[in-house]
Amino acid sequence: MIMIIVRKEVFIDSIKYILFLSIIILVLTVSSANMNYNWQWYRVPGYIISFSSDGSIEPGRLIQGLGITVKISVISLFLAFFVGMITALFRLSTSITAKIVSRVYLELIRNTPLLIQLFFIYFVVSPVVNITPFVTAILVLSLFEGAYASEIIRGGINAIPKGQWESSYSLGLSSLDTYRYIILPQTFKQILPPLTGQAVSLIKDSALVSTIAIFDLTMAGQAIISETFLTFEIWFTVAVIYLIMTVSISSFVHYLEKRNSYAQ
Amino acid sequence: MLNKPIISVKGLNKLFYNPDKSSKIDAVKNVSVDIFQGEVVVVIGPSGAGKSTFLRCLNGLEDFDTGNIIIDNIPLNHHNKNRLEIRKEVGMVFQSFNLFPHMTVGKNINLAVRRVRKKSVAECDKITVDLLDKVGIIDKIDNYPGQLSGGQQQRVAIARALAMNPKVMLFDEATSALDPEMISEVLEVMKNLAKDGMTMVVVTHEMGFAREAGSRILFMDNGEIVEDSKVEDFFLNPVEDRSKAFLSKVL
Repeated sequence: MIMIIVRKEVFIDSIKYILFLSIIILVLTVSSANMNYNWQWYRVPGYIISFSSDGSIEPGRLIQGLGITVKISVISLFLAFFVGMITALFRLSTSITAKIVSRVYLELIRNTPLLIQLFFIYFVVSPVVNITPFVTAILVLSLFEGAYASEIIRGGINAIPKGQWESSYSLGLSSLDTYRYIILPQTFKQILPPLTGQAVSLIKDSALVSTIAIFDLTMAGQAIISETFLTFEIWFTVAVIYLIMTVSISSFVHYLEKRNSYAQ
Repeated sequence: MLNKPIISVKGLNKLFYNPDKSSKIDAVKNVSVDIFQGEVVVVIGPSGAGKSTFLRCLNGLEDFDTGNIIIDNIPLNHHNKNRLEIRKEVGMVFQSFNLFPHMTVGKNINLAVRRVRKKSVAECDKITVDLLDKVGIIDKIDNYPGQLSGGQQQRVAIARALAMNPKVMLFDEATSALDPEMISEVLEVMKNLAKDGMTMVVVTHEMGFAREAGSRILFMDNGEIVEDSKVEDFFLNPVEDRSKAFLSKVL
């Protein structure tokens, strides 16, 4: 009896799945037919991998752009984490100055659009202190994502039970050692999922740096489109490349989480 | 030397404010007491009497408003250094164990020995093994706290506090969170500790322990020490009316 019910459910689920797929395919074919768009997918691979005259394989322009995006994202990710950590500790500290500084930074960053922050630093600040667009991009992204990361870290620290601090202090451990050995290791385990979400946001937000003349993945896509008018093919490809990056990060962190779990 | 107390508390006061600051409660009121080496002082009294607050003041987990606390000749004051020095000499066991869930039992025990006492890895390992042997769970050294029963966790917590080789041990209702069948295994460890001559201040509701292992009773009510007497005297001839009333309820 149970077997029959299970089989029936699987059958209904499969039907739903097939129905869903058919609708999507139908919508796509109908709309692209109505669009009168001339799909030329065969031209796309050349922008991912190209062959030079002597026959050796070279990265295509999209992959070159991806390289810049990865570079900016990875550096910003580390800096954002660092900034977030300092800000969180400042906000939790007893010093009034540290609290005010971190609060002002946080509210300023969180309540203004990233694009405007980017323009402000690029047009107003960077000519004065003389930094390259690449450094500007990293600076803005780290400060922006760092503000969000700090709230995640602060929440994680606050979620550690009071007893953990007390038992650590009662053993004679200093505040620094308590943070280092007791509080932060437990915090990281808790905040890994939301922090990963923030890393994914950072990668997606990095597309904005194309507005300040950096040849990242998005900019490379735009440039190719303006030359070839392969609008949808290139945008879809760019989106899939972003998707591959973000999904691999999420899966990797998920794997780490599983491996490092301990009995609670 | 024999007459010098290891813990000396004079005129200790601690106020708790209501959240809206409209009123305040004397959590600890004018408490003065000297505790000598080797004494097992059992602090009893109705709930809300300030027993735990008093205990937590002793190692600086709780700030106090007025009064003096001197432990092992170190005054407990706003100097952070003194506070850390006192905490090295005063071990504490909590009601809710408070083991570090991300560390194995062994690491729980020797972390502070490594970081605070700065002992070598070999010495730490020896201390850890000896103490786990003493509390009877040597086979759990590589387990995580989450894999242990409440009684076992509390025994690890006792071993962790003992690892620092403290001069005084504080017990804050160490058996209150345990299932009944696990209380005795923890009390047994505490009794052995008392027998070995450890100076202990124990907040508990276990009158059996107080009678058997205690040397002195502090009976607290409304933040004050109402009666301070030897164990035999307290249980046989309580002086104060409040002590009598309390005893008639718990015995």
